[in-house]
Amino acid sequence: MAGTDAFVRWRYRFVPDHVVGEILSKRWTDNLIPLFFLLMTVLVFGAAIQDFYSLGYLITAARQLGEFLLIVIGLLIVMLGGGIDLSVGSNFALANIVGLIAMNVLGWPVWTSLICTILATGAVGLINGILVGYLRLRAFLTTLVTLIMVRAVVDILLLKFSVPISGATPDSDLWEYIGDGTMLGLPFSFVVAAAIAIVVHIFLSRSRPGWHVAAVGGSRRSAFNIGIPVRRTVCMTYILSGALAGIAGFLYAARLGGAGADTGVGLDIGALTAAVLGGNSLGGGRGSVAKGILGAIIVLVITNGLVRLGFQSGATSMFLGAILLLAVSIDVRWFKNRHKVLSKVYVSPTYFQLPPRPSTLPDSGSPYALNDKLRNVEVIGLDQIEGPEDVILDRDNNLYCGSRHGDIIKFFGPDHKRSEIFAHIGGHPLGMAFDREGNIQVCVGGMGLYAVSPKGEVRKMTDETNRSPRSIVDDARVRFADDLDVAPDGRIFFSEASIRYESQDWAVDGVECRPNGRVICHDPRNGTTRTVLRNIRLANGICMASDGQSLLLNETWACRVLRYWFDGPKAGKVEVVLEGLPGYPDNVNRASDGNYWLALVGMRTPVLDLALRKPGFRRRMARRIPMDEWLFPNINTGCVVKFDEQGNILDALWDLGGQNHPMITSMREHRGHLYIGGIYNNRIGKYRIPGADPNWTAQDHYWGPVR
Amino acid sequence: MVRGKLLAALCASFVLSSSVAMADGLVDPGRAPYVDAMKGKKVVFLPLAMGFDLAEGWTSGVRQTVVSNGGTFSIRDPNWSTDAGAQALTELIAEKPDLIVVHNPDVQSYARLNEKAEKAGIYIVQVNMRSSYSTDGYVGADWLKVGEAEANALVKKCGAGTSGKVAIVQGVLTAATSVYQIGPILDVFSKHPEIKVVSNQAADWDASKAKALTTTVLQQNPDLCGLISFWDGMAIGSSAAIREANKTGSVYVVTNGGGEKMACDNLENGNFDEYVSFDVPRQAADMGDIIKTLFQSKLKPGTIKVSLYTPNQILTKASLKPDTCWNMKDLPKS
Amino acid sequence: MMGGLLQRAHFTQERIVFAITVALFLLFAVTLDRFLTSVNLLSLLQSVSVLGILGVGMAIVVIGRGIDLSIVATMAIPVAWVLYMMNQGVPIAAAFGLGVGFSIGVGLLNGFFIAYVEVPALFATLAMGAFVYGFGRSQLFNQDIIYLPTTSTWIADIGRMHVAQIPIAVLFFAVVCAVAYLGLKYTKIGRFFYLMGENYLAARITGIPTRPMIVIQYALSSLIAFIAGIVTAAAVTSMNSRVVNSTLIYDVILVVVVGGIGLSGGKGGIRNVIVGTLLIGILLNGMTILDIPFTLQNLIKSAILLVAILVDSAINPRDEQTSQQGDI
Repeated sequence: MAGTDAFVRWRYRFVPDHVVGEILSKRWTDNLIPLFFLLMTVLVFGAAIQDFYSLGYLITAARQLGEFLLIVIGLLIVMLGGGIDLSVGSNFALANIVGLIAMNVLGWPVWTSLICTILATGAVGLINGILVGYLRLRAFLTTLVTLIMVRAVVDILLLKFSVPISGATPDSDLWEYIGDGTMLGLPFSFVVAAAIAIVVHIFLSRSRPGWHVAAVGGSRRSAFNIGIPVRRTVCMTYILSGALAGIAGFLYAARLGGAGADTGVGLDIGALTAAVLGGNSLGGGRGSVAKGILGAIIVLVITNGLVRLGFQSGATSMFLGAILLLAVSIDVRWFKNRHKVLSKVYVSPTYFQLPPRPSTLPDSGSPYALNDKLRNVEVIGLDQIEGPEDVILDRDNNLYCGSRHGDIIKFFGPDHKRSEIFAHIGGHPLGMAFDREGNIQVCVGGMGLYAVSPKGEVRKMTDETNRSPRSIVDDARVRFADDLDVAPDGRIFFSEASIRYESQDWAVDGVECRPNGRVICHDPRNGTTRTVLRNIRLANGICMASDGQSLLLNETWACRVLRYWFDGPKAGKVEVVLEGLPGYPDNVNRASDGNYWLALVGMRTPVLDLALRKPGFRRRMARRIPMDEWLFPNINTGCVVKFDEQGNILDALWDLGGQNHPMITSMREHRGHLYIGGIYNNRIGKYRIPGADPNWTAQDHYWGPVR
Repeated sequence: MVRGKLLAALCASFVLSSSVAMADGLVDPGRAPYVDAMKGKKVVFLPLAMGFDLAEGWTSGVRQTVVSNGGTFSIRDPNWSTDAGAQALTELIAEKPDLIVVHNPDVQSYARLNEKAEKAGIYIVQVNMRSSYSTDGYVGADWLKVGEAEANALVKKCGAGTSGKVAIVQGVLTAATSVYQIGPILDVFSKHPEIKVVSNQAADWDASKAKALTTTVLQQNPDLCGLISFWDGMAIGSSAAIREANKTGSVYVVTNGGGEKMACDNLENGNFDEYVSFDVPRQAADMGDIIKTLFQSKLKPGTIKVSLYTPNQILTKASLKPDTCWNMKDLPKS
Repeated sequence: MMGGLLQRAHFTQERIVFAITVALFLLFAVTLDRFLTSVNLLSLLQSVSVLGILGVGMAIVVIGRGIDLSIVATMAIPVAWVLYMMNQGVPIAAAFGLGVGFSIGVGLLNGFFIAYVEVPALFATLAMGAFVYGFGRSQLFNQDIIYLPTTSTWIADIGRMHVAQIPIAVLFFAVVCAVAYLGLKYTKIGRFFYLMGENYLAARITGIPTRPMIVIQYALSSLIAFIAGIVTAAAVTSMNSRVVNSTLIYDVILVVVVGGIGLSGGKGGIRNVIVGTLLIGILLNGMTILDIPFTLQNLIKSAILLVAILVDSAINPRDEQTSQQGDI
């Protein structure tokens, strides 16, 4: 038994299970499937076609790619916005015939012809846009209809102009160059397409209207609710698609100069295949130019390769149909199950053994023995606040606490009956501390470290630290700042509970029980932020120790209190102050007698303690049953404990029946009272500490009396 | 001068060989250049599509010629797509075969590419539908004559005593067939004011389009007298429409094509009334000849422009003989 | 707003279209002297009967909130294959059996991808159409047009047959309509289609085997497409596989949507298909007699389709609350 336990311990210590989930959670993994497709296609056709890799072949292919790519980009913009544009093929034919009429029949200059062409196809896009965007018609059917209409117009134009077009050849070097010229050895149309691809990429990924497109595609209703002009955005995507089809058709006209009836026939299904194959999702919201390029290359390599290899008519259609079917199936399944797969794979529990649980029975003689001291706490702000994770008081007896709504609320002393919203931050404020200047430094879940001046002005201190080179998740961004304290020299040490989970998923981090937490130091003097301590099993409360060179740090899931020296002779050392706690430590703060208060947010249970040694069990649990039924750490009841720097437990405060103040995440001593906060509470408790110094305030204790 | 050298060489070889075997006869001096000319030569055929009589017939004949003389033959099938065809031609220019047989979808699209291919040192032989750029060789129907023959047939049938109404179903309007055929037809009709062209539209070589189009024409003109379709593959559609309207026999259907069995069948059962055949096996043979000639000439591609027009054969039900048409099924499989 | 008014006044789209059809009919009958002849009316019916048969197949799918864009491919390719096999000397019964099997197989595959893989019907059938065409054209037969073998002209004779002066194609249309009408109205499966179209999730919760039902839908539409293909082949003694690339599919959708079968499913019936087919028939016939060129007719037809979609969306507005993400 001990042998298997040891094996499990070593297995989970050395096999990095969490890496799989972290890689899958990267957005770029979307591109892996199309990239794999592309490599396969290139390898297969490269093997089948000799001189496939030759410069000549590639340049020839690039000329056609240019036109096709423009169509695909147009289509993917529309798809990103949640629509679809089947009229691109007809529109392309329209551009071809309009361009040829302008050049061959009317004899206009190239630029005028180009502008005229783009206007014509852009108008088709505008019609699509009005119908789909403003009148809310179904995109598929509507563009199907415009496809037929535009094709009919092209047929009518062909009937009238095809013979004059065939009879004339425009005498223009520029026209010749557009169709046949090269720039730096590359076909002109390819250069144009590449330039437009870059512009569109920047537009989609770096500009406000571009983000709007993705937002509308991702969730039209939400986009509307936050004030994005949904209809205009949708309309714009169709206009862009039309204009790009115009440019592509113009390039085609310059290249071949033929007014054939089959121009652009089947281009729609080809472009659609390319866009979907590249990983642009059909419903919208997910897509990029890079994906479009991947898809376009795959489709062109296949279609040209099949003709080149001498396949029969129909083979292209067969392969494209099959590949489209396969690609859409993968897309649909991936989109539907990615979330599930990810949540299954992402949670990767590890082995952890806790020391034995001390007894908390009332007559056990244990220092943690249950009592009812908190039963009769005075209650502040009942039902006026939600989720005061931490509370803090200033010299003038005003009380500040965070709320779930992203505010810091100020209760005016001394009676704390009246309150105001002191500052609005946006994220849920967690741990707080005063700095020397009297600003409240606050950790905000999901946002980072912020400072609130005595006047209530909010300022971001930091939300970034140094990126660890070997971490797969981006750990530069501070996602889950939890608690902090300020060193005498002004440096701010704050804990980040977990780099793998957002603040609302803290309990999942507990199921995983992996050392994901860390301590970060922000130095306001030069604005630097560095990670100083890693691998903490949920880094939580931080409190400066009495020597000014070290801090106390709560490691929640390990049920212990650490002491970390950041200065002095022991700099960099970590020692365990207190371990084998009966519950999960949350915040830690100074007491007036030189000791420390410690909040236990929830109590350990034998089942979870055992489960922590059975990572396989927890993994199966995470994969097979819904999250609501998981075995989570208990946070229904907790207590406040007082301890000294040697690790002796001096006192324990409980609310035995859980009637008044069962759930505790923080406590703050102020003028003889203990103020108690809880992250799921609707109140703040005020407990009179027997025999405490009635004049002691933490702010004075840290920074000296007011000057 | 050349002849002198040749003679000298001949004498020399005669002297040399005579010492070995006296009774072996002479070596044909023209044969070696003929045999060598084709050896290892790469010939590629770029049709509009495969899977219809013309392309299959040409392919079979040309392949036979090329392969039996030691060359290689391959096909690029763009399946009716001009873009795919142009791309295939562009790739071919980079690939540099020795000769390309091109079937142009229209007079413009491949013109520039044909010229480029010749400049790149590739012989280009165009078949049946030429582009506006003339290349080394052209083998195909004489569309002017075809058009005249068709128009004259209708002039004969739809003269006095009939409505004089005729319909024209063109192929792709910009294709050489349509462009060069419509002129002579309209010229002939202009000399006969009794003939009225009530419809002149394009069905893009597509039988189903032709059928829809003809249905419309027949409803608009129930007394239609004659119809010219620019290709038998399309005329099938028109005659189906005529049959659906129960007008088989009262509308005189004139069309043209490669003279495959399907044409004879349709003449036999009255779907077609008159047929201008440009004999596809003959065209294939012509192509073979031009290809051989070009390879032996060793001329730089683009130096000469040779056209071989296929003589037309006019078929009616009365003139049919069992061997009038060739059969696609009998073509040797590659 | 307009939709509400229209509904309150019982102006369903079907009634509007029916009224327009009757009005057009009367208009043409009065103004065009060649319109109201039995020959013209029969040719009118005959010209749209294949379209109508395909419309019935499409309607069955659309009622169950799907769409079948592969219907033209399943009409052309299996039938072309049958003709090809007959040319190769395969016995007619065997050829027909294989052809029917092929077309139903396509339908089952469509259903599988839509019901079980949950690919949107639009894309599944679009891709399937391309695949079926390419597969048939490159693997089963190597010709664009397959002719009826000269040995079995009796099929062509049947195609030319008239029963009591009514062309056989029209009779086929009538029979398909009748069977589909009875099936949709009086069988359990038919009622299930409506329920699934009305509210798919509710239908599933109430225990309807929705996934097998979807598969059945597409198998039925493929089978009907095959019938349409046989009727076509008998009429023109050949099958042109390039019809797949034509605009026929849009005409089929036009018939269904114009007739008043909302694309959101659950509404309409075979009656609507007939009304839609008649409208298109009368319209095409009238335009033809009015001497409107073929290409322009396409433009007018698509404009009417657009109007139909506009009216449809006004009468059956898309519900923002229940419309799903990705429902395009």
